[in-house]
Amino acid sequence: MKRSFQHPPERLNGRKYWRSLEEQAASPEFREWLDREFPAGAAEMEADGVSRRNFLQLMGASIALAGFGMTGCRRPEGYLKPYSNSIEWVIPGKPLLYATAMPRRRGAMPLVVTTHEGRPTKIEGNPLHPASNGGTDVFAQISILDLYDPDRARPIRLDGQASTADALVAELAKLSQEIAADRGASFAVLAEENSSPTRARLRAELERRCPRLTWAEYEPLRGADEAAADAAAFGRRMRVRHRFAAADVVVSVGSDFLGCDEGGVEASRDFAGRRKDPSQGMNRLYVAEHRYTVTGGMADHRCRLRAGHLPAFTVALAKAVAAEIGNADLASFADGVRIEGTDPALDAAWIRGAAGDLASAKGRSLVVAGALLPGPVRLLVHAINGALGNVGRTLELVPSEALPAASIADLAARITSGGVKHLLLLGGNPAFNAPADLKWADLQKSVPNVIRLSLHEDESCAGARWKVPAAHYLESWGDALSADGTYLPVQPMIEPLHGGVSELQVLAVLAGLKFSTGPGLVRETFAARTGGTMDETKWTAFLRDGLLRDSAAKPVPTAFNGGAARAALGMLPPVPAPAADDAFEVVFVGDSKVDDGRYANNGWAQELPDPITRLTWDNAALVSPATAQKLGIQLDKRASGRTDTARIVRIEAGGAALELPVLVSPGHADHSITVALGYGRRTVGRVGAGVGFDAYPLRSAAAAFVASVAQVELLPESRVHKVAVTHGHWNMEGRDLFREGTLEEYQENPAFAKTMGMDGHIPPNVSLYKTPTLDMPEQWGMAIDLTVCTGCSACVVACQAENNIPIVGKEQVINQREMHWMRIDRYFASADPSTPDPEMVMQPVACMHCENAPCETVCPVNATVHSGDGMNVMVYNRCIGTRYCANNCPYKVRRFNYFDYNKRDVLGKWKPPVLGERSNLYKGPLGPLGMQTEETLKLQKNPNVTVRMRGVMEKCTFCVQRIESERITTRVKAGHSSDPAANLRMPTDAVKTACQQACPSEAIVFGDLRDPEGRVAKAKNNPRDYRMLEYLNVLPRLSYLARVRNPNPAMPDAATKGRINAKAHAAPGDSHGGQGEQGANGDHGNPGGPKADGPRGGGEKH
Amino acid sequence: MSNEPTPPPAGFRPGELSLAREALVLNNRSFSWVTEKVCGIVEGPAPKWWYVATAASALLALVCFTLIGYLISTGVGVWGLNSPVGWAWDITNFVFWIGIGHAGTLISAILFLTRQRWRTSINRAAEAMTIFAVICAGIFPGIHVGRIWMVWFLAPVPNSNAIWPNFRSPLLWDIFAVSTYFTVSLLFWYTGMVPDLATLRDRATNLWKKRIYGFFALGWRGANRQWRHYEMAYLILAALSTPLVLSVHSIVSFDFATSVIPGWHTTIFPPYFVAGAIFGGFAMVLTLMIPARAIFKMHDLITPRHIDVMCKILLLTGTIVGYAYLMELFVAFYSGNEFERWAFLRNRVADPFIFGPMFGVEPAPYWWAYWAMMLCNVISPQFFWSRKMRNRVIGVWIICMFINCGMWFERFVIIVTSLHRDFLPSSWGMFHPTWVDMWTFIGTFGLFMFLFLLFIKFLPMIAMAEIKGVMPQGDPHHPSADEAEAVHLQEYRG
Repeated sequence: MKRSFQHPPERLNGRKYWRSLEEQAASPEFREWLDREFPAGAAEMEADGVSRRNFLQLMGASIALAGFGMTGCRRPEGYLKPYSNSIEWVIPGKPLLYATAMPRRRGAMPLVVTTHEGRPTKIEGNPLHPASNGGTDVFAQISILDLYDPDRARPIRLDGQASTADALVAELAKLSQEIAADRGASFAVLAEENSSPTRARLRAELERRCPRLTWAEYEPLRGADEAAADAAAFGRRMRVRHRFAAADVVVSVGSDFLGCDEGGVEASRDFAGRRKDPSQGMNRLYVAEHRYTVTGGMADHRCRLRAGHLPAFTVALAKAVAAEIGNADLASFADGVRIEGTDPALDAAWIRGAAGDLASAKGRSLVVAGALLPGPVRLLVHAINGALGNVGRTLELVPSEALPAASIADLAARITSGGVKHLLLLGGNPAFNAPADLKWADLQKSVPNVIRLSLHEDESCAGARWKVPAAHYLESWGDALSADGTYLPVQPMIEPLHGGVSELQVLAVLAGLKFSTGPGLVRETFAARTGGTMDETKWTAFLRDGLLRDSAAKPVPTAFNGGAARAALGMLPPVPAPAADDAFEVVFVGDSKVDDGRYANNGWAQELPDPITRLTWDNAALVSPATAQKLGIQLDKRASGRTDTARIVRIEAGGAALELPVLVSPGHADHSITVALGYGRRTVGRVGAGVGFDAYPLRSAAAAFVASVAQVELLPESRVHKVAVTHGHWNMEGRDLFREGTLEEYQENPAFAKTMGMDGHIPPNVSLYKTPTLDMPEQWGMAIDLTVCTGCSACVVACQAENNIPIVGKEQVINQREMHWMRIDRYFASADPSTPDPEMVMQPVACMHCENAPCETVCPVNATVHSGDGMNVMVYNRCIGTRYCANNCPYKVRRFNYFDYNKRDVLGKWKPPVLGERSNLYKGPLGPLGMQTEETLKLQKNPNVTVRMRGVMEKCTFCVQRIESERITTRVKAGHSSDPAANLRMPTDAVKTACQQACPSEAIVFGDLRDPEGRVAKAKNNPRDYRMLEYLNVLPRLSYLARVRNPNPAMPDAATKGRINAKAHAAPGDSHGGQGEQGANGDHGNPGGPKADGPRGGGEKH
Repeated sequence: MSNEPTPPPAGFRPGELSLAREALVLNNRSFSWVTEKVCGIVEGPAPKWWYVATAASALLALVCFTLIGYLISTGVGVWGLNSPVGWAWDITNFVFWIGIGHAGTLISAILFLTRQRWRTSINRAAEAMTIFAVICAGIFPGIHVGRIWMVWFLAPVPNSNAIWPNFRSPLLWDIFAVSTYFTVSLLFWYTGMVPDLATLRDRATNLWKKRIYGFFALGWRGANRQWRHYEMAYLILAALSTPLVLSVHSIVSFDFATSVIPGWHTTIFPPYFVAGAIFGGFAMVLTLMIPARAIFKMHDLITPRHIDVMCKILLLTGTIVGYAYLMELFVAFYSGNEFERWAFLRNRVADPFIFGPMFGVEPAPYWWAYWAMMLCNVISPQFFWSRKMRNRVIGVWIICMFINCGMWFERFVIIVTSLHRDFLPSSWGMFHPTWVDMWTFIGTFGLFMFLFLLFIKFLPMIAMAEIKGVMPQGDPHHPSADEAEAVHLQEYRG
């Protein structure tokens, strides 16, 4: 029998119509007749005993049992559970945005978090605050994955046994009494730096009760004498802020201020703002550094120098500036900086040129010091800024609320002396990253009662009595101050997933307050900061805006205090001697992805290519090509593609040895080895396990950033390490893909890029095909400004977060199967190892959405087609995975799911009896399910984007889900308006793609090409606009604005700057030199031989 | 029935004999000898080596199918494909096998229409080879896709989504071209076999054999009317197949020629691919026929003249292919397009020893594949200028093996070296085959050999009915026409 569903009788409203009298009568016979699919007797042959229907049922069942019915292939049943009670604000399918802030080493980053049905899915910057202006960096983007990390610490443990929050609170309350009794003498806290006023308030409360406690703070990547130097120069309780927006000339001494140091997002935006429109003039950047950083890549002039020589460089610069401006004080101050060892050979002309430029821009220049500079040198940098009159103009001082804290070394001394019985470890990971000479792991064991609050079960949890899972910042209440002193709320988006407890909650109980689960603690601080009484309106606005308006600290007019600085110069430890000229130095740097190691269990971080080396899933010893050759490494002349094996070096420094792979990095200083910190974690989750090599054991408190290498030795070739580098070919091979020129060239011909290379002499493109007319009112397009793109890679992760892009694991990256929809192409102007100073350029590449898309014509199943609004769309359901589209894509932006990356285990290893170790992916359906199938990670997924299965192609969609969402909004509004047809057009610049939104320097613009007021239409009208591979006539919708560099004509290397497209620029002996056979790219009319200084891009002259 | 050669017919003088064209069947064999020879292979007990070879090739075929199962269950990632190189051995093997499948139909159809009577001794086996090669080829486009269970999207069937396949895609043309080619080749092969199947039926001693051969012989009685119909059908099928021979590989070449990738985007591809396919197909015919001829002692049916003629075709097509290779280089140079020039000079030609240093460039990563192709396909057939070389069967076989390898390398060079370094150096990479790639390919040889071994055991390897028509004895005016015929003639004239 067919099942009859017992629908309730229809409620009658209005007239009743009936089809027959029986229906009108609704007799029981009629009802039965209705319920049956066929009238009685038609389907059954009652006389036979076996009815036809029964027979078919039996047969059907037997076929099903025989397997033909695909019983095994049935999809699992799932249930949709509607809310039984509607939740305030939540409209299913509509995201809710909340403002919050991410606490950081230096201040905090104001954020807006997208939540879907109560689960945060995406992080954006808060456009209301200048520290973000809507942009974010890599760390903010990846932090959402940390929230959902299934490997997060849980539950609360006491002596290894699971415990409860109640027990913890009781214990803490007891401890609070205990330490109050001895006034804190037996108690110590080690915390991370944090700007939270509530934490400061609770700490003050705690210190009031226990004045003898030790409060120490430790940040492994913070310069040791930084605070002391700043205090000496400008007085205590002053925070140094760099105002790049006001600086015409910037000199960075070892500072990666556009990357992961110092300013971050705000610096990138301010710096970019001064370069965006070359017709309005440009700022100029000089960088002295030992390895390429994204800042070095943006430099107009770059001085490649060993890190150990940066102090001498600074002294020479100071003296040159002093000479230029006639400031004897500065010269004598520079003399006061004692540097041991011999003077290195410095490029005097370079320094003179830079100093001259600084001097000519007094009050509009800025010298920035990196964290790796020793205290006296940092002081000297402040002195230069002081002498140049920059203090108060480009270098602002804002009052800081940071309370003084003991250093980790002070705390270690206290523990050694035996006074500490209770140690509270708030975040951080000292057992992993404390200076090696402190032997922190042993010290920690000597403390009887260690209470460890951490997001992950890590090295510092070992031996802790209490292990308390910390609440993520997206799970807990808190507050923070941004770099300019604006007060920011940290509000939870979700209940703690694993019962985590926040730092503030722990401190409150210890300070004798009640265990607080709500915003109470923050509200009290808020009330205190807003005039003493709680103003609910202000509080609501505070939470809504994500900041307290007009709460930024006013800059204090302070001058450089020469006397105090001179005195401090004598107090600070002297500048250590650089390694001898033929010896090696090793430089420890923070990693652009895992920072100091805190993001080591984050798959997005691990798989994100490093901006410079394009290395994923590892760290390595970076050396210059010359040094590599000296070490005995054969350089791969072919550089044909990716390198997947690296030789291993053994570095002995600071009394420890480290064996790690070595990567050749053009533009690196010779005799210098850079090692990124944060890898080689020992106690870590599944993602970070076995990734990279731990450099912390080499790092002592005295030589925290630059250490002399006792011995470096290349291990035999039998021991190599597999490295996953996504972009091995350094050389652009003279192609006109990335285009740049100098400011001078730009002023002469702003459209210089349009006629470069092939574009100068291709005939007008004609198409035999009649392309369908694109008839929708909006036509989407994108432009990327290469002048301001630093290559920081925030866009790459933002895209990954927005579009549910899976990670594929190290082995698959080695197999060249990474899935990032957006990648950053990084080229060095010369692959020739004999050119030690190549230029480096960055070019983000995503799907170009070609109007004549080559992928569309070749797809046999119409899985990639063109939309009416000019986008190349990918229909996953339709895709069968021939990969023809990817082959025919000239930009190679399509990504194929070679395995079920969203389902299978991409991390685990399988050791079959033959053929060596390989990923669990190769086990196919017999392999385990991946970590990404765990419930928490599913929560991160953007519900508006399909999670792709294996065998389908995917690529950038221009964030079509955002466009559609905005389109729906527009249509709904139009529907309510008086003239719907007139209001169907979407507002100008209403849609931002994820990459655009994240970009700190606003290099990416997206919008409607037909809207003349829109940003993208303006960008396309910019004379610098050019399209990659124009001659193919694929008409890409993504175009680039050529890069303009601003070299100083007075500099010795001025002639070599901004000439990445001048093929003849390649060094003699480089096989790419006289490439007459390669066609004239920038060498029109003279294809035969090298032209050192002829006109380039001279197509317009023909 | 004796195997003794019969003396020259009485009516011929020695001078006349030497001027006559060399017969297509040597030693003046009679019709019945031919029937005995060909049917004897099918009817006699299979030799021991046949069992061994069949078991070995069946095992390899099984490996192939097991690995296909692994591929489908786990993902295309078990192959070595990657982001710049989205096709590698899969499509290389596809084009390689499809190319081999060209000779059979060319021999059967084009040589039939142009009245090349020597085709009769080799056409049956060559056609069988075609069918089996197309089967091997057909595997790859089927399994190389990411979601094989959705592959029916390629078929233009009306569906509720109202989505058709993309008729602009050369891959779709491929599907039509290859399936049409397979169908017509199969029909052609089978039609040509009907009289011979009837012969086997008539000679069969076992009831089941009689029934099976009888079923497939379609009631053939050798009546005059049947012959008339048969020949008409055969002619029509030949006429149908002829354009297909040219179209299939032209269309396969469109997969590449219509793209924008330097090294693929080449207008010379259709004729170049067809010539290459005939070249590779004939090499494979010789590779198979030379051992078969030796094993089954068919020297009188497949004569040195056959081998000589096929070697000449190899020489011709090999030279056309060589011309195409050089023309590609010239066009790349002459275009002035830096990407085209790169694709040929820097990705292919530049070797570490001669051309790289000559042009002052680094060696191309796949230079060895390019030069292996040049050596095998252009240099090795040049030996066939010499009659001596053409007459040395073992030498011919070795050169054919070179050509077989060379034709595989040709497709590898076109596909992989063009893809691995195209427009944007940032995405350049290398392709490394995995063990699954290799064993799937080796497995298809197992499948091919397995099918071919079954063919030689169960079907007449040589077209008996046709060959009898081209034997000297088949000419009614042949002086040795038998007595009865002479009497009949006399009566007629009488």
